[in-house]
Amino acid sequence: MTPRTGGRKLCGADELVFYDITASFEERTIFTDILKKTAERVFIPLTVGGGINTLDDFARVLACGADITEDSADKRSLAGIFLSYQAPVEVPGVPLYSYLRTITQKRPELKMTARKFRARVGEIAEQLDMDSSFITRELNVGFSGGEKKKIEMLQLLLLQPKLAILDETDSGLDVDALSVVSRGIEAYRASCDGALLIITHNTRILERLSVDHTHVMVRGRLVAEGPGSLIDDIDAHGFEQFEVAAQAAGA
Amino acid sequence: MKDQTTATPELTLERVNTPPAQTWNYLRANDITLTVPQLSRKGDVYFALPRLFEGIECGVGPQATAWVVSQAADARYVEVRAGERKAEPIVVDVDANDGDVHDVGIMVRAGAEACVVVNVHGTDGEPATSGALVRIIAERGAKIRVLEFVAAGSAQQHVESVGIQAAQDARVSVRQYFLCAGTLVAGIATSLDGDGARIDHACRYLVREREVADINHVVRQRGRNTRADVRETGVLDGHAKKALRATIDLVHGSKGSEGTELESVLMLSDDVTNKTVPTILCDEDDVSGNHGASIGPVGPEQFQYLRDRGLTQQEAEALYVRALFDEALIAAPTPEVRANVLARARMVLGDDVANDLVEGLGLNEEGA
Repeated sequence: MTPRTGGRKLCGADELVFYDITASFEERTIFTDILKKTAERVFIPLTVGGGINTLDDFARVLACGADITEDSADKRSLAGIFLSYQAPVEVPGVPLYSYLRTITQKRPELKMTARKFRARVGEIAEQLDMDSSFITRELNVGFSGGEKKKIEMLQLLLLQPKLAILDETDSGLDVDALSVVSRGIEAYRASCDGALLIITHNTRILERLSVDHTHVMVRGRLVAEGPGSLIDDIDAHGFEQFEVAAQAAGA
Repeated sequence: MKDQTTATPELTLERVNTPPAQTWNYLRANDITLTVPQLSRKGDVYFALPRLFEGIECGVGPQATAWVVSQAADARYVEVRAGERKAEPIVVDVDANDGDVHDVGIMVRAGAEACVVVNVHGTDGEPATSGALVRIIAERGAKIRVLEFVAAGSAQQHVESVGIQAAQDARVSVRQYFLCAGTLVAGIATSLDGDGARIDHACRYLVREREVADINHVVRQRGRNTRADVRETGVLDGHAKKALRATIDLVHGSKGSEGTELESVLMLSDDVTNKTVPTILCDEDDVSGNHGASIGPVGPEQFQYLRDRGLTQQEAEALYVRALFDEALIAAPTPEVRANVLARARMVLGDDVANDLVEGLGLNEEGA
């Protein structure tokens, strides 16, 4: 275990692995308290090697800060991670309604009657200015870039993930579509107690959002971090300052 | 045509569902041969359609068309007056258990609008052969919507044939939901005769277990600036056998026309047999013809997307099957059709999913 000081790893192990962390003592099934404390102390990924039997187990482990990157994408998704696509894939033969209903039914915490489900989808669609006919169309087939992003936002609000990663969701969007996406993100923040990681080249999508932390990456490396106000600095001076600093540090 | 006992004489229909241009014989993809019951109609007096309908090309070909005409007790003629918007659909109800055979001719006069529904329903019981022949003439500016739902029993054979003639600026929309039958032979031929005539055709099929589906789609684009958009999407499972012949024929004189045909086949088992024969015929310049087919398991990009939203491979595959029923139910225009689709959904998807479909659409058990 490597103590964390000031957010930097000092030395030591690259990975901490817990094998079979089940226990029956005091009716606990997982040592989540150990995971939680470890996550507070160390700045390295945690791998859970066993004892994960249910979706709830995953959710609890995830909440402790453990690494689940070894798991398959479907399990990560069910654990509460949502990855929004930059270019959502077209799925011919599957109407949006069937798709949304199926992915919702997979999540026990979101189980609801089909009638309530339709009403819920209708509410979100209205929130996002989506025409109700979208629901019967094939998933992303023949949709414009803006419409596809709306469908991503619809899923974000429907699934209420614990962590939503929006990978360049704003790319290729016109002003109106961008506004809808921003509204979707705002609605997510208002309705869900989750975290949002927004990856963008353009700060426009952030204008209407209250950002907690800002990180700047240059060529895959984190070169600066700060509060939300760092965005104003980027707006005023651009990214060049960070590129220059990164080059200097590299030299 | 209820009495299909062992004494019923049989007839072999050759060259059924033959496309306009054929491929190598050794591929055995050019047609299908059918054995059907042949009831004698000697001495019967029955109503035949106006001779105008005889000239309409039908998808299953002349032999099978002649068989349906010979077996249907009476032909039914429907005329939609010029400019009329017919609110109620024209329903062709085929009880596959009884071996119903129908011959229907529909004249949609200039500027009129109509919807035709073919509902084929049957249960797993005695073997029987049913048939439906629907011939449509859409005059100038007419709008016609054709909806076909086929869900017959696994021991039953159904022949479904449609022929459409579309005049200038006529609009044709076809939706086919083949949920299937022991043997389904379905053909549709559309002739876009007039300038600016259009067809928008979507076919969805699910062929499973030991079912056989043989499908023939032909669009003849004769007028100038005509448009044809034909899309087939299907799922094959178990030991299913399916053949689809799809032809876009850009006839001499069809300048400015565009035709597109795309098929997407999802194969869920190693034991299925799929034959896809997409063809574009072209005898005109300044036209555009596109076709393509995608055949195999769930595509890697699609699967990754579905997986990222929590679905395993098995669940992703099941989604495609459920989707087909969802779509059929949404498109079903009458309680009888919805009840037919629901009964099949219950058999294929199980009660839980079927109940979810019912509730999602706010229906009751009878589909109302």
